[in-house]
Amino acid sequence: MRRSIVNDPEDLIPEALEGLMLSHPLMLDLHEEHRFITRRKPATDKVGLVSGGGSGHEPLHAGFVGTGMLDVAVAGAVFASPTALQVLEATKAADAGRGVVQIVKNYTGDVLNFRIAGEISGDDAVRTEMVLVDDDLATDTGGEDGPGRRGTAATVIVEKLCGAAAEAGASLEDVAAIGRRAASRARTMSLALSAGTHPGDTEPQFTLEDDEVELGVGIHGERGRERVPFRDADGLTELLLEPLRAELDLHRGDEVLAIVNGLGGTYPLELNLVARSLHHHLADAGVAIQRSLVGSYVTSLDMHGISITLMPLDDEQARLWDAPVRTPALTW
Amino acid sequence: MTTTTTSTDTLPDDFGHAFIRGVHEHLGGAADPLGDLDRRAGDGDFGTNVRTALKHAAENIETDKPSTYRQWGTTMYMGWLAVGGTSGPLFGMFFRDLAKAADDDGEPTLAQFAEALAAGQATIQKYGEAKVGDKTMVDALDPAVTALHTAVEAGTPPGEALATAEKAAVEAAQATAETTARRGRASYVGDVAKGVIDPGAAAMALVIGAARAAVDGAEVDAAWIG
Repeated sequence: MRRSIVNDPEDLIPEALEGLMLSHPLMLDLHEEHRFITRRKPATDKVGLVSGGGSGHEPLHAGFVGTGMLDVAVAGAVFASPTALQVLEATKAADAGRGVVQIVKNYTGDVLNFRIAGEISGDDAVRTEMVLVDDDLATDTGGEDGPGRRGTAATVIVEKLCGAAAEAGASLEDVAAIGRRAASRARTMSLALSAGTHPGDTEPQFTLEDDEVELGVGIHGERGRERVPFRDADGLTELLLEPLRAELDLHRGDEVLAIVNGLGGTYPLELNLVARSLHHHLADAGVAIQRSLVGSYVTSLDMHGISITLMPLDDEQARLWDAPVRTPALTW
Repeated sequence: MTTTTTSTDTLPDDFGHAFIRGVHEHLGGAADPLGDLDRRAGDGDFGTNVRTALKHAAENIETDKPSTYRQWGTTMYMGWLAVGGTSGPLFGMFFRDLAKAADDDGEPTLAQFAEALAAGQATIQKYGEAKVGDKTMVDALDPAVTALHTAVEAGTPPGEALATAEKAAVEAAQATAETTARRGRASYVGDVAKGVIDPGAAAMALVIGAARAAVDGAEVDAAWIG
């Protein structure tokens, strides 16, 4: 049986948002009614950036609100989209007169509610562009039908690059184009040793035998693509890396941005082992990791698992990645 | 001297008020049976969604004190947009199109209302990606739009025209019991939903019934929902 540190599970999200805001009083503000986090001092004369989605993926998205990244992050219930009304109010709050880029992970509910909010905010003369993040290689079925690839950890890259471009004064169209380009080039693979447990529940979302690994998991406790035998850290890293290398067609001399991401119940020592292994594997193939991020940034409650995100990196993207950022979860 | 009204005349004074009040009354009154249908043929949350939407819409009426058709419609569409799931945003965008039938002041003509109903159907299908026959709210809306359009073309008076649309919607909603879902709530449960009326289609028929009742003042029959 699992236990969680919660009060009434019904109050989990507003209480967690309040806790985040109280912990960063100089950086963040909370809109209680519509459950979105804004910068304490709203930016002026720049393109606004709004993101959001279901909760349970913290620090995504509210942890990335601040200078150089998001203006507003709106939170739904655990693994459930915020309502269209919440997204509408969050989108309007993000507008400083130069339009708003909505960064949306590719899930049916999120896409529906952000599209609707984008359409309605036009009534108030707010221009919007949507950037869809769909990096999850495990859900790449190649067909035109169906919902397409899910959005996962590449969201951090898109939010960072768009945030830097917006901060530097780029136009609505240019910020959106930078986000779309990053989303189109980044791919992620994930695996889990155990599933997460909904706050207040006593059982995890699925169970695995001791010798099994769930490969190709999403961030909502969905079952993965297949179950494979358990192996050591180097072996697990290879499981994720091989399909990514093939998909991204990486060659000797290529440069990439890498995210080694914990899914909520993974500890930093484990992530460092994966990062080490990833560096060695790619170095052997002549691929340089130019920039990297190692930590738990896009999680699935307390899922014990990892994801690796790779994106071929060009000079402009490297500059945007290096630009200053000051948020609760990412600062340099 | 008797007067007759036709589709080019505006709907009665206070149509917006009566229509939206009727939606509260008839949809709210059917929330339990609609929820039961959804428990048998969906994910079970539709009754709650209806109640939540109407609660938010009622709060909007308190706050915004609507006086025109468009303002009454706005309280309803914003109420639905505060609801999760798929039915919240889809009904929200449907009522948004209905609210746009008239300018900022005044009531719409029957022809404008008919056009808005058609626009609402197009919006639902754009966002919901459902076709006629997929066992969704579209199944009730599509024949109502067609019937109302035909009545407008024929110059039928509003009460009679909306009654025709309501009849078409109710019959089509009842017929969803015999179809298998390809989109929406019931697509997840497949043949289990066979024999069960789609609650979204039933709700849509009640909405059109409320519009008709706002013109002729007669009762809206909801007994067929269960």
